[in-house]
Amino acid sequence: MILDVSHRTRYAYAKPVLQSQHLLYLVPTRTAHQSILRHSLLIEPAPSLTVARTDYFGNDAAILAIEEEHCELVIHARSRVEVKRPELALSAPSTAWDEVAAKARTGDGTLDIAVLQFVSASRHTPFVREAIDYALPSFGARRPILDATLELTRRIYADFTFDRAATDISTPVSHVLEVRRGVCQDFAHLALTCLRGLGLPARYVSGYLLTHPPPGMDKLKGADASHAWISLWVPQIGWVDFDPTNGLMPKDEHVTLAYGRDYNDVSPISGVLLGGGRQVMEVAVDVTIGQ
Amino acid sequence: MMMRGARAQGALGADELTRGYTIAGGGYDELVDGAGGIRPHWQSFLSELAALDEPTRSLRSEQLNARVRETGIAHDLFSDPASAAQPWRVDLVPLLIAPEEWRRLERALVQRARLFERMLTDLYGPQRLLASGAIPHALIFSDPSYLRPCHGLIPAGGFLQFFAADLARGRDGCWRVIDTHAETPAGLGYALANRMVHSHVAGGIFGSLKALRLAPFFQQLQAALARRAGRADPTIALLSPGPRHNDFFSHAYLARYLGMLLVEGSDLRAAGAELSLKTLHGLMPIDLIVRCTAGAAADPLELDATAFSGPVGLLQPVRKYPDLLANALGSALAENRGLSAYLPNLAERLLGEELLIPDGRRWWLGEESNRRHVFANLDCMVIRPAHEGTSRPGRAIAGIEVSRLSETERAALLGEIEMRGATLVAEEKIGFGTTPSLGAAGLVAKPYAVRMFLAATAHGFLSLPGGLAMTVDPDLTVALSAPEAEARDVWVLSDQAPPPHISLWRPTIAAAKVQRTLNDLPSRAADNLFWLGRYIERADWTLRVLRTCLSRLQEDSAPRQLRASRTALEILLSQGEGTIPHALQPTDTGLIEELARGLMVTAHWHYSLPRTLDNIHRLAGLTRDRLSLEAWRTLNEFYANRRWCADALPLGIGDSLLLIDDGLRVLAAFHGLTHENMTRGFGWTFLDMGRRLSRARNLAELLRGLFGKIKPSEEENACLLFALELADSFITYRTRYRLAPMLPLVLDVLLSDESNPRSIAFQLASLARHIDMLPHSGQGGERTEEQRMALALLAEMRLADVEGLAGSGADGTRGGLMGLFDRQVAALPALADLLARRYFNVLEKRAKWVRARSRVTE
Repeated sequence: MILDVSHRTRYAYAKPVLQSQHLLYLVPTRTAHQSILRHSLLIEPAPSLTVARTDYFGNDAAILAIEEEHCELVIHARSRVEVKRPELALSAPSTAWDEVAAKARTGDGTLDIAVLQFVSASRHTPFVREAIDYALPSFGARRPILDATLELTRRIYADFTFDRAATDISTPVSHVLEVRRGVCQDFAHLALTCLRGLGLPARYVSGYLLTHPPPGMDKLKGADASHAWISLWVPQIGWVDFDPTNGLMPKDEHVTLAYGRDYNDVSPISGVLLGGGRQVMEVAVDVTIGQ
Repeated sequence: MMMRGARAQGALGADELTRGYTIAGGGYDELVDGAGGIRPHWQSFLSELAALDEPTRSLRSEQLNARVRETGIAHDLFSDPASAAQPWRVDLVPLLIAPEEWRRLERALVQRARLFERMLTDLYGPQRLLASGAIPHALIFSDPSYLRPCHGLIPAGGFLQFFAADLARGRDGCWRVIDTHAETPAGLGYALANRMVHSHVAGGIFGSLKALRLAPFFQQLQAALARRAGRADPTIALLSPGPRHNDFFSHAYLARYLGMLLVEGSDLRAAGAELSLKTLHGLMPIDLIVRCTAGAAADPLELDATAFSGPVGLLQPVRKYPDLLANALGSALAENRGLSAYLPNLAERLLGEELLIPDGRRWWLGEESNRRHVFANLDCMVIRPAHEGTSRPGRAIAGIEVSRLSETERAALLGEIEMRGATLVAEEKIGFGTTPSLGAAGLVAKPYAVRMFLAATAHGFLSLPGGLAMTVDPDLTVALSAPEAEARDVWVLSDQAPPPHISLWRPTIAAAKVQRTLNDLPSRAADNLFWLGRYIERADWTLRVLRTCLSRLQEDSAPRQLRASRTALEILLSQGEGTIPHALQPTDTGLIEELARGLMVTAHWHYSLPRTLDNIHRLAGLTRDRLSLEAWRTLNEFYANRRWCADALPLGIGDSLLLIDDGLRVLAAFHGLTHENMTRGFGWTFLDMGRRLSRARNLAELLRGLFGKIKPSEEENACLLFALELADSFITYRTRYRLAPMLPLVLDVLLSDESNPRSIAFQLASLARHIDMLPHSGQGGERTEEQRMALALLAEMRLADVEGLAGSGADGTRGGLMGLFDRQVAALPALADLLARRYFNVLEKRAKWVRARSRVTE
């Protein structure tokens, strides 16, 4: 499927920003199941410096510096991508989860370091006993890993309420577990905490999702948002995505921006500002089916 | 428990020193061997020490620690100055290391440095050690000091410019490494300072023992840094987290000794691939950073978002020049305690060598089998973080001793190990060897651990022939953890002829190349020196006012003559306090005494002495790399000497006067030292401008207060004498006029006489000269605002008609005089403000760097 993404972020500052530097993860990934047909990035005021680089996890990142005093900053990324995730037959047998965990633990040489690095805890996904206890009912001995993880994904979808007001960037997973509320990155972090707590390699995925308006209504402009889900390593298959916010396995409607250990590694826009005072951020994301 | 006494053999007169020397527990002792005999390499030292009688030894010990206080090793800059505890003491008896022992240690330490260098090169490169399982992946990937954005940044000059290891001898006498320091110079400045103060009092003994000197090591280090910087005449800066860091003394000391700029993150600017220092002149390129900050805290943009120890965007220049920082970013990974058990195999694999000295017995708790072993032997284990990251010697966390925990605490700890084992280690107590310390009744054996330092040079790693030994409590710790901070120097004995004496304080011509130029003053340093000048002048003025007032009280002068005192005190107190408390209203005498006392002791009064001295201490600390050692030591007198603590100030007038005189002498010595010894760079300019501005303003305010209104002639005479005395101009006046003081003539001396260093005109003329010399000042026709302002103030003083000003108006006031002083008093702070805005880092003072990030919300 071909998808057009427009991601416009506008910052308004109460006091002038004298200088700023930003780190952006706004270029979609190029993988076997996603190709970029077009990409553009517009920044206002114009940066004095823009550096594109590939980060440790293989993502395209951009670093920019703005030296001009400004009270408003607009970052507008537009991409056209083609997504063609392979259809996975869920009935196909997959390795038992505990076998994968054992391989990951011993580092017996069959798993790549690029995979094993996603077993360790990270800042936003520290090991917590409660998360493991929450996950265990889905992970009985010898259960196939895809089957078990899909059940966990669906349970998170069923047990947790989407609520923007319940959490913020710094809310720990343990609190999300307690209040059973949060947003997509909280659910992604929770799923990662569960899987890594069981010793399984899993990574955070930042991206977008094509949304559908309620039947009979037009899609509102700018009503989409950036999205987050997870990806699990499965022997013989590779990385397989799960979206706990929607209780499903992504197919062609999820556009991938970047992979990391957690949100902290691949936050779409982060920056350090000199000055600025209070700031107001407006984000408008539109994902549409390409014509 | 076995107790062993010592027999001194062959050491003349040493019996008395070693008679009470006992080693508890039968561990390894440096001085006494298993049979109770004195080890041969201690014989000469003991004879030298025994040649001093007990009072001389005590005296030397006292001198040594007085020197420690003066040098400022002892205190944290922001600790309570009134606290009697001295958190750093140096033992008169050093730790002696025999030549063959040293060669063994040196080989082992150099091997370790090479090993960790190879290991880091792999972990930040191909990661073969992880792929093969030689190091468990979870050990590295759980360590927050593994800086992923730095992957692939392999410096040609190596990760480890600096390397240090903490060592202890177990009870069995074998050395073990109990901690590794790979992030920063790890307190190298303390080892150097210890040696400096120690040789000051024990230099004679040191000389006669043929112990190795430290200077050759530092020369090699200096040459290595210059080479790493890659230019013939490089600009090298030491990046420190700032004076609030508990290692700041070491940073400042090292920067000064090696001739490096001492900078903080906010002094630097990373623009694209270039790194520069913000100076008075604008941006100046930096060739090399000696990093004394945590790597993870070095760039808030790409590394730890909450830490601002480095300039924003530092990683950009580092990507272009991976050698820009020493140590390179990410080097702290080598400190991970979990590595201990894997080191023998790594040495085999990476170096093809057998590991010469192992780590202490340690288990990484991320490994299942280790956890089982540790759970089975919990009671003899100490649990510690795998990565700690303190560099100040003696500040290692003692760890959790499982045997001391309650049942609940124990259960909680086990849960913690299950969840976060990858970030924890368990350690067995190995005990510590002992070394002699000088007590009141002779030598006493004390358990110790020692830090040893290495540097990368053109000829490979070189170890410092010295170090820092500290007394530790084996019951409480497995690390170099010494809350009492009992330190001792380390002397490495040599069986070869000593090389000629050199010291970097007097650099050779080759080394002088790395010395700073005169024009590289960071804006922040200019700011601090300016304020130091202002506070020093404030202290000087306050002490003078107090002296003049108290001596008049002591002479029991008539109340009318005391009016001037009261006015002077009230002016000082009106700065910030608003009005004088009403409670103070009895007779003039009582009030004056009360006010003077208040100025001396009331810490929260704006112009009070304690507050001013605190500020001096703070600013002297912030600028200590800009002041000569003598100048710093001189000012430190106010801090180090308990007489100046607010609660120790004398109550009686006579004693107060003696103390005030001493204080004025200290300030005079500081003035003299800066005047005679400080290079006339911009640092001196700003220090002097601060001083001149304050002096002019203080005098203008006083003269306005004393002579603005006409007073009865007896009172006016007293005021004239008071003003002359306070401005130290009585003799000038007398020799010039040979008349009783008259207002026009006094005004001439104190206002317009540019040859009198206390006159207002003198201050303004100096200021105008200084301002003309500053980087952004206009030459000739085009003058800056501050140039014009200084000139206008000076012109007004030069043109002042003292006869006319002294004349009175009909309303009993001197309107002209009042107007003149009003203008000065208002304009001088405005001038200071103009200077600050142009030269200091006000941009960043005004605005703070903040971190902003978006949230993903779908």
